[in-house]
Amino acid sequence: MRDERDDDQLLGALREAMRARQAVPFEIVEAAKGAYAWHNIDAELAQLTYDSSRDQERMASVRSESASIRALTFTSAHASIELEVTADSLLGQVMPPGEGTIEAQTRLGATTAAPVDEIGCFSIEPVPAGQFRLHCHTARGLDVVTGWITL
Amino acid sequence: MRDDPVVTALVARAAEHDQDAWNELVERYSPMVWAICTRYRLSRHDIEDVNQNVWLRLVEQLGNLREPAALPGWLATTTSRECLRVLRAERRNDRFGSAPDELPPRLDAALIEEVIIVAERNAALRAAFAELPAQCRQLLAMFIGDPPRSYAEISVILGIRHGSIGPQRARCLERLRRSASLRAFLDDEIGSTPAERSGGEQRA
Repeated sequence: MRDERDDDQLLGALREAMRARQAVPFEIVEAAKGAYAWHNIDAELAQLTYDSSRDQERMASVRSESASIRALTFTSAHASIELEVTADSLLGQVMPPGEGTIEAQTRLGATTAAPVDEIGCFSIEPVPAGQFRLHCHTARGLDVVTGWITL
Repeated sequence: MRDDPVVTALVARAAEHDQDAWNELVERYSPMVWAICTRYRLSRHDIEDVNQNVWLRLVEQLGNLREPAALPGWLATTTSRECLRVLRAERRNDRFGSAPDELPPRLDAALIEEVIIVAERNAALRAAFAELPAQCRQLLAMFIGDPPRSYAEISVILGIRHGSIGPQRARCLERLRRSASLRAFLDDEIGSTPAERSGGEQRA
């Protein structure tokens, strides 16, 4: 026969299990679910390796013209994408360079495509609303996708 | 590593274009990913970055996981590695010397193992709870809320006689114990007598 202490212990464990789940913010869980959209897409993942806004956060009181342009770098084993965010466009360059296409894809599935020129440069207009990621493929066989970007 | 047939089935389904199975894996293990990130004291922004990369890597690996039952371990070590990557990148880009001098130490294998065990037990408890009849879920929710409700309050809220709350609570907990999701864990951990327990509840 179970005694009351067993029951209290089980309730305590249940409480902890529920709290562990409730501690995770909604957006984090949704982002994880959304990652499945990339199932069976055969692209290499490029990680965020530089973000100028992280420096700016530390410069809180310093305001300068250059601080208004955000620069990001994504790097994978075989490629990198440099990105500059201006008021009305995303300017960037893919390395190694080569003609191709780059696509900004939002969480909601909207896409904006732009050409990549022979030196790897591209310009995407307008700046996508909300979270998005970039998927680039070039004629030379580069196929790379960035992590989600929040501006 | 516990060979959990539920996880094995979920991984197999997720590898075959089943978004529901994927969502369930996320529901089960996102608290573990979150818990590891908070142990490294990452900012919210960094946690989002790590979380994204961990789950994207899993998407890439779905077809390649030779032992789906090892998934929690894979997720935990991948998360830990991603946390350290983010912290290292922050130090590299730190031109103003505001990043801490020392990287926090990598979580050691024993700690990771403990996080995994807690995460699996919690997932089993939530799954077992979700399988309970609505009446039981309502009643038990009264006891696990913050703060827990008194018998008098429960009697008013749920319209149950004061005297039958205790017996109903015991019956619902017994159903919880009998759930297939939970039985494996009960044998060695929850519900054993306090004297048999070693170490008590660990917080993730």
